Amino acid sequence: MTDRTRATDGGSGMRVAVRAAGDWEDDVDETEGIVVDWFAREGRSVQAGDTVCEIQVEKVSVDIHAPVAGTLDEIVVDEDDAFEIGDTLGWLRSE
Amino acid sequence: MSDADDVIDRELTMSRAMVESIAHEMRENEEVFYMGEDVADYGGIFDSTQGLLEEFGRDRIMDVPISETAYLGAAVGAAQEGMRPIAELMFVDFFGVAMDQIYNQLAKNTYMSGGNVNVPLVLTAAVGGTYNDAAQHSQTLYGTFAHIPGLKIVVPSTAYDAKGLMHNAIRDDDPVMYLFHKRLMGIGWMPAPDGPKTPVPETDYTIPFGSADVKREGADVTIVTLGLHVHRALAAAESLAEDGIDAEVVDLRTLVPLDTETIVESVRKTGRLVVVDEDYRSFGVTGEIIASVADRDLDALDAVDRVAVPDVPIPYARPMENEVIPDATDIEASVREVTSGE
Repeated sequence: MTDRTRATDGGSGMRVAVRAAGDWEDDVDETEGIVVDWFAREGRSVQAGDTVCEIQVEKVSVDIHAPVAGTLDEIVVDEDDAFEIGDTLGWLRSE
Repeated sequence: MSDADDVIDRELTMSRAMVESIAHEMRENEEVFYMGEDVADYGGIFDSTQGLLEEFGRDRIMDVPISETAYLGAAVGAAQEGMRPIAELMFVDFFGVAMDQIYNQLAKNTYMSGGNVNVPLVLTAAVGGTYNDAAQHSQTLYGTFAHIPGLKIVVPSTAYDAKGLMHNAIRDDDPVMYLFHKRLMGIGWMPAPDGPKTPVPETDYTIPFGSADVKREGADVTIVTLGLHVHRALAAAESLAEDGIDAEVVDLRTLVPLDTETIVESVRKTGRLVVVDEDYRSFGVTGEIIASVADRDLDALDAVDRVAVPDVPIPYARPMENEVIPDATDIEASVREVTSGE
């Protein structure tokens, strides 16, 4: 997995990472979380700001929003799988 | 539903679908409000009101003291005075302390007043087991409420159904009990099976009461069920299909009113009926469904069976709870039994 959050591959649009990150990071001690639910499947379109998935860190649920409008290109961390805070959970392809 | 799959990109958990319809109705009608234990700051212990406090404030999303008889009585009164309360009984198992409010006031006041008052109250409650919460927090009690005249009983199994049924419940002028299964809500600590999370339209829509939904078509046997067990029946049907047994799965969606028509029509096609319920076996849903079919068309029934919780309290211990609550294997075994006759 790459650290870059944006990458192009020559296709239409830009790949934008959906990351397990946000203001809530300051409030938690735990470094791991799990993905509870994805609200779109790969290939489906999302609007900027839509809740694309729900994660759980220290038993608290957090909504992760789409950083841009586009289609959900790839789910990297599946439901019930664990991640490190800051990880890329999936990729959007911007419009 | 199937044509909706093509165009709707987002999927919702059942809890989010319920919240979306409640929020919609609250925006449209200022008489709609929600009261219950831990529904404001906590957002409902099974996420039934997640996020509503932020939008609607404490006058319309009300935490109440732990006295079901007091706040359900208050909700009945508010409904009779023209408001449209949604009151949440945190666990359906707690109905006992408010039984007079539910059985004698909520269900009967329209009748007792000679039709002078309506009671447009939606009583929501979490139901069901499968997570080791023991005998006083794991019941479904469908039969207890479907038994009494005056209450409509809704039991959704998917996010799509949950939203449409909730819109219909809030707009109904009579009392509705809306029983949501904890295991279907999509909460982090109690993972749902695949199935309840579905595409859900962003606009409002209603699903009329008394319309069962054929979740899977089949020719050999009719499985009638509701709630969590719709998904267990679908899993059993997949496995039976590998052996050439083609099961139809009918999701009741509401117990009152009961869509006897859809059930009888299916049994006339298959000739075999298996009723699956997470309530106790005796004097409940399974017996009622079988009797309704026998009343309407006894000749259509070649074979019949029921799969339900035996008449024992739900055990706390995991292996024991798993033993008494029907699973896909139990449903499969029952279907094999009724189809083995030829």
